[in-house]
Amino acid sequence: MSDTTVTRSAVDRTRGFSTLQRARGWMSNPWGRPRFLVVITWAYMIWALVPVLIAIQFSFNDSRSRTVWHGFSTKWYWGDPVNSVWNDPALRTALSQSIKLAAADVVIATPIGVALALGLARWRGRGSGPSNFLMLFPLVTPEIVMGVSLLLLFTQLFTVVHTGTTAQILGHVTFSISYVVVIVRGRLFSIGREYEEAAADLGASPSVALFRILLPLLTPAIVASAAIVFAISIDDFVISQWLSNGADTTTVPMAIYSATRAAPLPSTNAIATVMVLITLASVVAGFLVWRMFTRGERGAGQSAIGDFAALDA
Amino acid sequence: MAGGEVKLIDLVKQFGDVTAVDGINLQMPAGEFFSMLGPSGCGKTTTLRMIAGFEQPTSGEILLDGEDMAYTPPHKRNVNTVFQSYALFPHLSVFDNVAFGLRRQRASKVEIKQRVGEALGMVQMADYGRRKPSQLSGGQQQRVALARALVLKPAVLLLDEPLGALDAKLRKALQIELKALQQQVGITFIYVTHDQEEALTMSDRIAVMNEGRVEQVAAPRDVYEEPSTTFVADFLGVSNLMAATAHGDSNGRCRVSVGDFDLFAGQGEVGTSGETKIVIRPERIHLESQDSTGENRIPGMVERVVYLGNANQVIVRLAHGEVVQALVQNTGQELHYSQGDPVRVNLPPEALRVLRDTGAAPVADAQAAAPV
Repeated sequence: MSDTTVTRSAVDRTRGFSTLQRARGWMSNPWGRPRFLVVITWAYMIWALVPVLIAIQFSFNDSRSRTVWHGFSTKWYWGDPVNSVWNDPALRTALSQSIKLAAADVVIATPIGVALALGLARWRGRGSGPSNFLMLFPLVTPEIVMGVSLLLLFTQLFTVVHTGTTAQILGHVTFSISYVVVIVRGRLFSIGREYEEAAADLGASPSVALFRILLPLLTPAIVASAAIVFAISIDDFVISQWLSNGADTTTVPMAIYSATRAAPLPSTNAIATVMVLITLASVVAGFLVWRMFTRGERGAGQSAIGDFAALDA
Repeated sequence: MAGGEVKLIDLVKQFGDVTAVDGINLQMPAGEFFSMLGPSGCGKTTTLRMIAGFEQPTSGEILLDGEDMAYTPPHKRNVNTVFQSYALFPHLSVFDNVAFGLRRQRASKVEIKQRVGEALGMVQMADYGRRKPSQLSGGQQQRVALARALVLKPAVLLLDEPLGALDAKLRKALQIELKALQQQVGITFIYVTHDQEEALTMSDRIAVMNEGRVEQVAAPRDVYEEPSTTFVADFLGVSNLMAATAHGDSNGRCRVSVGDFDLFAGQGEVGTSGETKIVIRPERIHLESQDSTGENRIPGMVERVVYLGNANQVIVRLAHGEVVQALVQNTGQELHYSQGDPVRVNLPPEALRVLRDTGAAPVADAQAAAPV
């Protein structure tokens, strides 16, 4: 930033403007080109992204060091016979466990969430207000509280479940449903009741109206919420940790945490990079589907990114 | 097309404490173009939605060809709706939108193709079958919405302000088309609008509604020329409403006092006595030079002249303080009035109407009014 500012102000001085006058100009007309805001935005982006990029860089380091660069290598991904992501059984198990949990979470939470959203959006009467509000509860409850309560639930009350993969899936589903409900319900409100009424008017029974009209119109929201459920499930740490019952049910975030505390190797960075890529891929795929389906809708073009970004927690 | 007579009997709809429709009685004979006209919140749309089946009445009956269908779900009613925002299914092509209802009736592929083609042809959209609704202009979407509803050959077509979202010129063109279409298909059209011009140009009869009640049901000419309540007179077009004291009938005319002036009113409730309202349309007022004489003339002073293109609107303050608007047709000659000029305002008795002075009128005349 400083370089450009210096050259700009140098140019300005030759024209008879100082940086101060420039700033004053902006103050008097904030609707002009918002140069300062652009600078602040980029500064933040760099601040937020640089650590991630450094972590990714050292996953390709050709040595055991995570701080000193020794050249490019993919050995921490698959080359190293013992400690690479591919060959270290602990990391491999963690990766498959994380993907398993996220996939199961998507498959279970999405349909339930959609059904709940439909019910809550259409239900008028006593109790509909509070239940709509309570849907937000899992979103604001501290995860640690939820983790502890679920642990107590599965070890004291519903002992059939006990800890392990099933408990982890149930835990993830519990907090994921809210995201699906909030996203799908938002879309339901924005598309309104008129399409359903038009379908009924043209002779469609409620179930036909649901499957032929409503669900196709909800597709972008359903896909987006599935992508987000996948993303938040795969990087969940707290609930996975509380409901785990040993090495078999360790997830990637747990594996990274314990590795970092013990003897961190660039393979930790490698598996973190894999996580970043998986999360990114799921969110990008969700966004593309959202945009594809909402193309041509009134005002959807400009707000698609905003709508979608607003959903990601 | 046989059938299509709609009868509403003591129809009431309450939303919580709010009464949206407050005991409506209406009869729309088969094949009529019937409009419900009123300001927003007058209950016209709620009434339409009850006929369509989207709302259930709190009490009362909705008869379609003599059969009560107040509690029949919308998909089992032989009525179709054209929505205000068209509600074309965005994920389906124009063809599939129009075919949607036929597919629900399990029509054969050949029949669907033929009838959709006919319906799109009728609204001049035959070449647009493969497009998506988002690729059409507002006017085109409106036509498709019309085709989608008409393809099912309903007994009654319900239209909820279907031209509201279009620009003025297109709206005028579609008004004429819509009326022609109605005469062509011959089914009952029930049209909801807040635009008096739309209602006046297209309808066989108009129900003017206010606060959940029907104020007057009559042919367009009658609601405009012979408004029965102050609300109707005020809502339809610009009216000059004046408070007056009536002194009863004298030779078929009513003598009324406006301030210190005595006028004769030859229209409306000429037998009235006591406090009332009189009304006159701006185009029926004559402005004369200040030395003209004769009955029904009140001196006044020009306050403002507004050029409207086809006419000039002249706002005159009468001697007793009330303000009236006069409309002077543009005949090509320059108007010789300007601000501050003294004039004499001629309110011809045959144009001056005495009204029942009630905002909310009884609805008894709804049933009595004969179809045109």
